[in-house]
Amino acid sequence: MKKKLAAMTLAMAMAVTSLAGCGVQTTEEAGEAPAAETTSDTTTTEMTGTGDKEINILIYAQEHEKAVYEDLIAEFTKEHADEISKVNFEVTTQDEYGVKMTAAMTADDMPDIFYIGPDSVRSYVDNGYALPLDGLVDQAAVDNLWPAIKSAYMYDGKEVGKGSLYCLPKDLSCFAFAYNQDLFDEAGLEYPDPQNPYTYEEFLDVCKKLTKDKDGDGEIDQWGVANANAFGMTPYLYSNGARFLTDNYTKVNLTNNPQLKEAFQYYVDLTAKEGVTPTVEQDTALGGYQRWLDGQIAFYACGTWDVAAFMDDATFPYKWNLCGWPVGPSGDGKSTAWLGTVGFAVSSKTQYPELCAQLIQKLSTDEEGQKVLCGETTGKSLQIPNIMDYAQTTFKEKVNDGTIPYASNVDVIFGYIEGNDKYNGIFGETTYTYNAEWWDTFLEGIPNVQTGSISVDDYFKEVEPKMQAALDNAIELQNAATNN
Amino acid sequence: MQGKAKKVKVKMSPMAKREERWAWLFIAPPFLGFVLFMAYPICFALLASTSRWTGMNSLMGNLSGLRNYAEIMADPKFWKSLGTTVIYLIGIPIGMILGILIAMGLNRGIKGKRVLTTMYYVPVVSSLVAVSILWAWVFNYDYGLFNTIIKALTGRHGPNWLGDEHMVKVAMIIFMTWKGLGTSIILYLAGLQNIPRDYYEAAEIDGANGVKKFRHITLPLLSPVTFYILITSLIGGFQVFVEVQVMTTNGGTNYSAATVVYYLYDKAFNNNQLGYGCAVATILALIIFLITAFNFWGQKKWVKTID
Repeated sequence: MKKKLAAMTLAMAMAVTSLAGCGVQTTEEAGEAPAAETTSDTTTTEMTGTGDKEINILIYAQEHEKAVYEDLIAEFTKEHADEISKVNFEVTTQDEYGVKMTAAMTADDMPDIFYIGPDSVRSYVDNGYALPLDGLVDQAAVDNLWPAIKSAYMYDGKEVGKGSLYCLPKDLSCFAFAYNQDLFDEAGLEYPDPQNPYTYEEFLDVCKKLTKDKDGDGEIDQWGVANANAFGMTPYLYSNGARFLTDNYTKVNLTNNPQLKEAFQYYVDLTAKEGVTPTVEQDTALGGYQRWLDGQIAFYACGTWDVAAFMDDATFPYKWNLCGWPVGPSGDGKSTAWLGTVGFAVSSKTQYPELCAQLIQKLSTDEEGQKVLCGETTGKSLQIPNIMDYAQTTFKEKVNDGTIPYASNVDVIFGYIEGNDKYNGIFGETTYTYNAEWWDTFLEGIPNVQTGSISVDDYFKEVEPKMQAALDNAIELQNAATNN
Repeated sequence: MQGKAKKVKVKMSPMAKREERWAWLFIAPPFLGFVLFMAYPICFALLASTSRWTGMNSLMGNLSGLRNYAEIMADPKFWKSLGTTVIYLIGIPIGMILGILIAMGLNRGIKGKRVLTTMYYVPVVSSLVAVSILWAWVFNYDYGLFNTIIKALTGRHGPNWLGDEHMVKVAMIIFMTWKGLGTSIILYLAGLQNIPRDYYEAAEIDGANGVKKFRHITLPLLSPVTFYILITSLIGGFQVFVEVQVMTTNGGTNYSAATVVYYLYDKAFNNNQLGYGCAVATILALIIFLITAFNFWGQKKWVKTID
């Protein structure tokens, strides 16, 4: 008998350990205090009420964002304690999010609330994963969202920008431009005018004056500008009216595209010919971002999410401000940057559409939550407010009176988000294609153009057919993706 | 007696029966584990490799036969990444030669042998991501160890190790050789210690010099170890991924550092082509299988044992 018991225990132990690799542990804890359990980079927090409805949420977030959403969800759970039994709030990393969602879809076990980016609205809707929010969310709150974000999440089954709304935004960001004021002061130069972005020519001129050998050892150690190709190139191109794709994002056009050629030539010449950026080799040694933080760079990109870091003296001990990206001669004369966003969506399979819709409305538009995320209560601005009337009134006032530490030229960001006669914001072209392989293909060879080992014309000729093949593939996949 | 024996074959004793039941119970966990975590995923991947599956759409609704395979064969990026993977394999013989040399040195009973062995083995047990980040700094163009030494010695700036299309391959081979060296040293050291002393004594009496002893005793008797290292390094060599992902951006300038597994990952997870990714995985598995089979067939010709 004893032997049997021992053998049985042993066998059980073996069975358990052989399965241990795939177990995700969560602890449950009654009462108000959220219980969190960490497995690798994913955390799950539970909030409980006395009702019978259980809601699962899966998003990715930074630590400080997560804290804000946790509070909002806890508050919502309290407000609806008679309905809700439990909210499982799972937060993962951006890298793992896609894999987790794929697993959830394959297992037909979707969370009730999750993120969708504007680039995947079509796939989610066509495959029946996302619930239209019409009638479920408060129209007044929707009307108070930036028009640019709203249209990114509208889809009528054919075109994005029309039809039903599928997401409420987590944020709307833009990739603005910034300059180091201290370096301008040293050089005795006038600051850029936020009302009037530089032309290509003016910008190059200023950059030349800011590129120098400060310690006199014969090597340049301060540069006018540094650009990360993947993110910081398109604003130059877009601001010359250049686009890569035509015919409703189905054709790659490089060789027959003078606006693009002019803008891309200007862009690579900043490195190859004019030398106002670190060289390709120097850039692989130490990226532009680090050099900017070290005060070696006069102009650098500034996403809305960067502002808190740049305002922090410990991270960036220089005076700085926002300005527009330089404007090329062949566009519409507007400085054009790309916008970004991700939105909260409700699963079409959820049992509690109304409750979920109310919850995402709170996460997206609750004024107290926005105050935290935008820095009014914390002094660290992680994003621009989602709600327009708060953004245009209280937020701006608090920026001006210094409550929210922010660059004083905040209107540059509003210019990109709202659009005006000098500024414009657009979603990058990969937003409208099924994947970004065509774009990655273009990026891969740029260093060779910047070192001068291949000319722009030759590079365009060489890479265009490869990009077209990748785009054709993406279009075919888009069709397969909508094929149930 | 005979009758009884026959009976046992047909009908087991209650005790044997009980034992058999327990045996099944003990077999069950690894068997279930194999079915759940190996056999099922393999079959699933094989099926998915014939579908334009994106992870979101229906797998069965988008079956496309061998189209994924045909597209892979026609994709220059696949061939480029396969070529790079094969180039990286150059590190295997280099690592073996260094491994034998260092193991022989250690086998002479020098002082601090244990400390040295541990030092050589540390890279093997370290996190691959961590050492990749470390080596990305060693190879750094301006601040890296190598270029600092090159500048101090020659006065000229060293190469752009990770940014240049050709140098990146050299850099990766150096890194992989360093990373794998510990394993070959430990294995060769064990192999050396297993060679009976008297073989060498007999050879010495016959007047053999050091080189001859090495060629005719050491090398042949180490061949099983060499074979083991060859097989495991080849399999591992075809699965290189982390180094490329951590040390380069987008698989290097013009995809110059990308390996087959990087290509697979890029397709499946960056470009949402999961079915296509499964097809790449199948091809990779086939390549590894063929190479391993070839090695086992070829080993008869050169792998010798003491018996």
